[in-house]
Amino acid sequence: MNYTQQEMMAIATGREIRDGELAIFGVGLSMLAGYFAQACHAPGVRAMTEGGIYGSTPIGGLPWGIECNRISANATSFTSGLDALGFMVASGRCDVGIIGAAQVDKFGNVNTTGIWSDPDRKYLEPPKTRLTGSGGANDIACGAKRVVIMARHEKKRFAERVDYISSPGYLEGGTARERYGFVGGGPCAIVTTLGILRPDPQSKEFLLDGWFACSSPEQIRAHTGWDLHVAAHACVVPEPSVIELAALRQVDETGMLQRG
Amino acid sequence: MTNKLITLEAAVQRHTRDGMQYASGAALPVGSDAVVFGRELLRQQRRQLHAIFHCNTQQLNMLAAAGAVDVAECGFTGLEGFGFANGLRRAVESGAMRLEDYSNLSLPLRLLGGAFNWPFVPTTTNIGSDLQHLSALTGENYPAQRKIPEVVDPFTGRIVGALSPLRPELAAIHVTMADIEGNAIMLGTEWSRFELSRAAQKVVLLADHIVDGACIRQYPNLVRIPGLMVEAVVYWPFTSWPQASCGVHDSDDAHMKAMNQALATTEGTARYLDDFVFAWRSRDDYLDLIGRELIAQLRAGPTAFLLDPYRQWILPDAQIDALTVAGASV
Repeated sequence: MNYTQQEMMAIATGREIRDGELAIFGVGLSMLAGYFAQACHAPGVRAMTEGGIYGSTPIGGLPWGIECNRISANATSFTSGLDALGFMVASGRCDVGIIGAAQVDKFGNVNTTGIWSDPDRKYLEPPKTRLTGSGGANDIACGAKRVVIMARHEKKRFAERVDYISSPGYLEGGTARERYGFVGGGPCAIVTTLGILRPDPQSKEFLLDGWFACSSPEQIRAHTGWDLHVAAHACVVPEPSVIELAALRQVDETGMLQRG
Repeated sequence: MTNKLITLEAAVQRHTRDGMQYASGAALPVGSDAVVFGRELLRQQRRQLHAIFHCNTQQLNMLAAAGAVDVAECGFTGLEGFGFANGLRRAVESGAMRLEDYSNLSLPLRLLGGAFNWPFVPTTTNIGSDLQHLSALTGENYPAQRKIPEVVDPFTGRIVGALSPLRPELAAIHVTMADIEGNAIMLGTEWSRFELSRAAQKVVLLADHIVDGACIRQYPNLVRIPGLMVEAVVYWPFTSWPQASCGVHDSDDAHMKAMNQALATTEGTARYLDDFVFAWRSRDDYLDLIGRELIAQLRAGPTAFLLDPYRQWILPDAQIDALTVAGASV
């Protein structure tokens, strides 16, 4: 069966979402993964965007944003950012959120803010490359019961330490996150273009949990910026089924993911 | 009924100044925002703005590219599906503009704090991350202590963050429709316009449509910004162009991309300002510039049906212009 790495990543992410859950999606890949889950195995998922647009499905192609007309044309409720990220997420109601990452480290901390020549001097110098900032990702990372991080698997993105923590994972690892009493449990998976990483229950360091058929533990370790350990139970992740792929392509109606 | 209709030019002349703390709404990257107010700020050479934008928009992207913003505070600084905001990016990377990062929840919480006149707002998010530890404004070393200071919950002993309240001097808010008194109805997500309208010291509305007061009395539940807190109303179709206005028009995708590409360089920005900021002299000119054919196309978008219940009350241009002249003299 022919499918792209991006399609595999979207399907693997979608599999993290269970039927009936209250789920919050971001723009682009994360939205496709979420709506794929809804079209495939989780028809009862209660999908929302942080834009405060509820009950809708995208029409006319992938939405440009969490608020755009493509996601507003068949909504059942328009509210606000405070409602979506406050009442629904910071409150602890939200079951699962999907966020993207420009950089992610071994404790699941996410950087979407900036890249610095010398990250230790970031309070003195502007970033070499300014990214998009947090948006709602920080609030989702603090408040959603589970968070799935999506990132293209490249060495420069999978860093020992991120330049800037936009959205907290397990911070310095171990019990570090507990100091802040977040209502959300932290990232449960980093789904990449090559495989799936999950945190060790004690150290909270992310371990390789499974690799895609197109990849291998060796290849993934070579594309990771820290000494990635492979979990004892790690194995190949099941390939997309015919049903899954059909459901994804129905959602990805402009074929964004098929172009790889 | 007080008639608050004034021209765009008069609104900027009377209610803005160099160095002011200026907020806009909805401040959504693809959806609604009072983008044309930003164009007029540049036409009137406003400088050194302290911008409060829940999210970056093409307005902030343009103001930053033009060097009109010294400081910005935002929850998000990209253009979502349209990528990085090149003008803002250039201003940040060059050090020309200081950018204070918050999140899409903490920014409206700060507006809520300002609206309530609270001393601070407790937050359970943003803490523990660099949103708390890195400040462009407090002048502190890392980790910053004064941006989102830690406070102890007096009931449980738990550590939470304290967000500073925002009370912007002016908010220019895009709405779908308003009557001449400034009672406004918004279609689509209101994002943070409710909180912003209460937090700002002064509110100017930019409306795609001016409706008869009877419309407002038919749907008072939907009037989330009542006229009693509004200083002035500007009638300006396609206020948020090239971004979308839910129920009124789609985003102009080609211009979204071209604009962002132009703002990536100083030369491109100068050309963009010549063509799309300084080139028009009237509302009609501005609509000609967008293109009447394209306007018809964008108006026929998938959310157009949302406006149907209100169409019967939309006032014609000639009547609005007559009222605007009367309003301007007040």
